Amino acid sequence: MSSGERGSFGLRLALWYATLFVLGAMLIGVLTYTVTAASLAQRDRQIIQSKLGEYAVVYRRGGLRALRDAVQAEQVTAPERIFVRVIGHGAEALVLSAPGEWDVTALETGTLRLADGTMVQVGKSSESRRDLLRRFRAGLGLVTLSVVLIALAGGWLVTQSALGPIHRLRDAVGRIIATGQTGERVPVGRHEDAIAELTRLFNVMLDKIEGLVTGMHGALDNVSHDLRTPLTRLRGAAEMALAAPPDLDRYREALADCVDEADRVLVMLDTLMDISEAESGAMPLRRELVSLSDVVDLVVDLYRDVAEAKGVTLTSAANDPTYVSADRVRLEQAAANLVDNAVKYTASGGTVSIWSGRQGTRAVLRVTDTGIGIPADELPRIWDRLFRGDRSRSARGLGLGLSLIKAVVEAHGGTVGVASEPGRGSTFTLELPAVEARGNPSQM
Amino acid sequence: MRVLLVEDDAAIAEFVSRGLREAGFAVDHCGDGRQGLEEALTTPYDVAIVDLMLPGLDGLALIDGMRRRGRDTPVLILSAKRAVDDRVRGLQAGGDDYLTKPFAFAELLARVQALVRRASRSPEPTTLSVADLSLDLLTRRVTRGETVIELRPREFALLEYLMRNAGRVVSKTMILSHVWEQSFDPQTNVVDVLVSRLRDRIDRPFDRKLLRTVRGVGYVLG
Repeated sequence: MSSGERGSFGLRLALWYATLFVLGAMLIGVLTYTVTAASLAQRDRQIIQSKLGEYAVVYRRGGLRALRDAVQAEQVTAPERIFVRVIGHGAEALVLSAPGEWDVTALETGTLRLADGTMVQVGKSSESRRDLLRRFRAGLGLVTLSVVLIALAGGWLVTQSALGPIHRLRDAVGRIIATGQTGERVPVGRHEDAIAELTRLFNVMLDKIEGLVTGMHGALDNVSHDLRTPLTRLRGAAEMALAAPPDLDRYREALADCVDEADRVLVMLDTLMDISEAESGAMPLRRELVSLSDVVDLVVDLYRDVAEAKGVTLTSAANDPTYVSADRVRLEQAAANLVDNAVKYTASGGTVSIWSGRQGTRAVLRVTDTGIGIPADELPRIWDRLFRGDRSRSARGLGLGLSLIKAVVEAHGGTVGVASEPGRGSTFTLELPAVEARGNPSQM
Repeated sequence: MRVLLVEDDAAIAEFVSRGLREAGFAVDHCGDGRQGLEEALTTPYDVAIVDLMLPGLDGLALIDGMRRRGRDTPVLILSAKRAVDDRVRGLQAGGDDYLTKPFAFAELLARVQALVRRASRSPEPTTLSVADLSLDLLTRRVTRGETVIELRPREFALLEYLMRNAGRVVSKTMILSHVWEQSFDPQTNVVDVLVSRLRDRIDRPFDRKLLRTVRGVGYVLG
């Protein structure tokens, strides 16, 4: 949006405001003028009517003579100039008292026919009335002009103060787009209104975007860092084979190494993507009602042979049927990774036991092993991406298993926990909100 | 069997074409979506392998164009996108199977053959046999020569899968998804462990070894 558009929007609002304001003021002015003009004319007519009544009485009592005297006396005493004309039967003017021209157009007149057929006419100049209205109109013009000015200025002020927060929002968005600095936030106004709400929502959106961007940066950093090792091995294997004298067996060996390393790169890439998707909230979860004991059964089935081959006893137990709303594959993967670790770090003759059940509102899956355990100083860091404890370095793995478990479980609204004693073994716990299996499908 | 391959990356097209020809397929290759659609409409193919990101016309539109004009050639979609949604979209557009890049050629071959089998609906055999090893699908009896071999259910499932694909390399991923119906990859190779158990039963007591490991690729029976 250019500042020109922004200005024209404010101007448009101000003009609308001013137009409505002026129209309102003009309506009031016109009404006042009309009412004033009407009541002035009314007053003149009342004066004429009362004069006519008065002259009729004088004429009845004293005849034409008395009337003439009264009219002449009136001319001296009355401040307002009154035109009087008495017309006899022969249409001749019997009494005429006219301070000026008897001009019907400039006079407000009234006529009364007396009992003997004589007509009394009284006229009153409307000049002073017109003069008053003329000044009224001039005043109205001045007022209208100042109203227009006030309306324009007021409209401008009102729109500017109303649009101010929107402009600040717009400027902030513009800056963020221009600089890519998603850390910026729009200040929220003091008033609890729709604009403040919009600003807050906008800031929440920025938070989410920033989280995603940070997550993506983190994932990219990890990928570029951690793919270098297998890629170096891959390149090395190929280069060594090429540099050595031709030997079919050596070539086959080198190519197999290359495929292995490429697969490792792929698994690492997928796992890193999964972790950052889960952490940033972008992982699509196909939630369904999942029985924890089914998950345990599947994992036991998957690892029975592995444990047996290693001489590790794998047992499972479940109390009440416990259900969670989860992405089945993701949850199975998390549980499998836990058991995988437990079997890996437990020596022959040891035991890995899996327990699932319900504790209050939580569904719990617990994997306990009698393995090497984790030193206390390493415990808080084992969930970190690519952290590998000193003891686990010799075992094959990517160091991503636990952080994937944590990310997936937290994406489901759950928590992970660990307790360990070096030399005695470890217990890993996954907790998820339990869901009633029956009667409440809405929680699914 | 004639296969149409629509893939714009020359190197991938090259190794897929070569592999399919070695497996006995006739392969036509197009590097462009529009041209691919034209080929698919004018030539009766047994299977089409279609990449999603193509110049000219994208893979989904190509499949849609085929289906609209009544071509029901089975389609295997190749894609570099691994999200479940993309897979669903591909299958909704009329694809029959979906393979994510990078893929093992063994897996691509197995899927192409499965599509051909599905289309031709060859009758289901009741007994599978490789050399002197035979497996009865109805009685679930496994014998090698005169010797009866006892197998656990997973071992039986693995052997059945290997025998159905006798002579072809199957990857660990393929075994995981067919024997455990798992779509994720456990860290420890549970497939290795199961294969070595199976080997103990069907190969160790006998002179001729049938189950071979192809390093870096997978396993092959026969």
